Amino acid sequence: MTPDTALRAEGLGTRYGGRSRPWALRDCTFALPAGRVCALVGPNGAGKSTLLALAAGLLRPTAGTIEAPERERLAYVAQDKPLYPRLTVADTLRMGRELNPGRWDEATAERVIADELDPGSLVRELSGGQRTRLVLALALGKRPELLLLDEPMADLDPLARHQLMGLLMADAAEHGTTVVMSSHILTELEGACDHLLLLQNGRIRLDGSVDDLLSGHALLTGPAGGAGLTAHTVVDSRTTGRQLTALIRREGPVEGPWEITDPTLEDLLLAHLRTPEGARS
Amino acid sequence: MSTLAPKGLSWVTVRQFRRTLWTAAALVLLALAGTVALRVWEARTPGRRAVHGDLLDDGLAYDLLRLTMESGAMYLLLLVLVTGAFVAGPLVAREFETGTYRLSLTQSLTPAAWLRAKVLTAGAVSTVLTLALMGVFHIGWSRVSGTYNLAWGDRGPYESGGVVLLAYVIASVGIGTLIGLLVRRTLLAMAATGLVMGVVLLVLGAVRWSFLPVLTVTGPTGSALVPPADILQTDMGLTTRSGGRMAEWACSGQAADAVPEDSGTMSDAAWNNAWNKAYDSCLTEHGVTGQYLDYHPYSHYWPTQLIESGILLALAGLALFAAFRVLRARLP
Repeated sequence: MTPDTALRAEGLGTRYGGRSRPWALRDCTFALPAGRVCALVGPNGAGKSTLLALAAGLLRPTAGTIEAPERERLAYVAQDKPLYPRLTVADTLRMGRELNPGRWDEATAERVIADELDPGSLVRELSGGQRTRLVLALALGKRPELLLLDEPMADLDPLARHQLMGLLMADAAEHGTTVVMSSHILTELEGACDHLLLLQNGRIRLDGSVDDLLSGHALLTGPAGGAGLTAHTVVDSRTTGRQLTALIRREGPVEGPWEITDPTLEDLLLAHLRTPEGARS
Repeated sequence: MSTLAPKGLSWVTVRQFRRTLWTAAALVLLALAGTVALRVWEARTPGRRAVHGDLLDDGLAYDLLRLTMESGAMYLLLLVLVTGAFVAGPLVAREFETGTYRLSLTQSLTPAAWLRAKVLTAGAVSTVLTLALMGVFHIGWSRVSGTYNLAWGDRGPYESGGVVLLAYVIASVGIGTLIGLLVRRTLLAMAATGLVMGVVLLVLGAVRWSFLPVLTVTGPTGSALVPPADILQTDMGLTTRSGGRMAEWACSGQAADAVPEDSGTMSDAAWNNAWNKAYDSCLTEHGVTGQYLDYHPYSHYWPTQLIESGILLALAGLALFAAFRVLRARLP
């Protein structure tokens, strides 16, 4: 793997069970540059968790390859936040130190805990939000080069979410950590991510830096039946009365009676998710 | 921190199961206290003797010690099942059932190192535990060994008195690891391992006295055979002229058939006479020339222990080899 690529997949496919089972992930090829904060988005069942588990080295791909840093240099937070219920908070942090000799950064872990957790309380007595804090402390304390987070903020109240997200981003920026974070809640990711990977039905629908994707698309509003769209790829169009709204992928200057606006990330995602898989862009 | 203190994943494992370990340690101490108390009590209450010196009975303390050792030997066999079930269920399968393996396996250690640490920790802890319990058993058994059900060849004392119990426990760690990895459901893995180790105990128990050839004493019919002292008798019966063997009871059965017990028409002496006649004619009819007794001398005890331990350690090795292969196949 080249030093400027943090995660690379080639024809990656995974199927749980035998040949009769559907593909959870199919024919995925992408290369994520190092240092990016990547949003992995897609509807439920799109294959986000499978992709992250493959990257974490917890699954063997059925087809293709995935290149990720070795275990020492990556951290992974699974969706259900697995922790040993009979250990205390302090035990869990010591486990991070014991299992990551030479890498463990106690100060970072303590910063995530932020006096919010009693070191003596058992993990099984923690609330969902407290568990999230603890697994994030474990993940960041390891000083990973690649941080894989599967729906990390789902259990948090908005305040804690905001605080932990800020902490996460600051830490990633400070150390140049590559982050891949899955979510189906876009607001959780918007503003924090500079790269986007959109999965649908196990396939990649969009892959690129957020800036490129946004500037490569345009949101057009104009009279229904208006001309001039043939030069572009129409991702999605909807007619309301006599007015047509279309999201297009720019293939050159847009001509015609159109009012052009920049799409938001949400416009982009919704437009792609609404269209059938054949209209791949 | 002392060099003996567990590090890395061993520390995590010990910490996770600290309550189980304390419970086990408490049980060992309880067993030790109980056994020592029984020995002390027994030593202070000698059995009652008649005036001319014959032992009338052994006393309550002795009987209690004997009963405790009889059941204690069986509890030690249970230790094999409990260890296997614990390794298969809470130690291995639960990691997969609850998904916590994803936490450990994304730290800085390979899957093989992860499993190795678990196996070694479980092996070390269960070895210490087994040796401690075997020591406790010896304290009690040494007073009552050789009595009914408590001879060196009897099931229970045979395993607990020698090294073979430790080999069983180590085999249960290996087999438990494999089953835990394959089944990945805590309760199911525990039950399956208990069942498998039970079968291993029964099968080896049934064949262990065939590892070494038995010795035989023979003698003429009519008088009782006098076998050597301190043996494990495996078979006895009658020998025929053609060199064959016959069950000891074959002719008694035939005589009893010929002379019904409740005939009521004969005197006791006449009945005995008739029975003996029928018995002798049966012996003649089958050409019985003598009787035999197969046995293992005490000198077979340690070789049998070592052969059985070797089989169990090979089983443990195979199971662990398979377990690491299963892990490799599942995780990159």
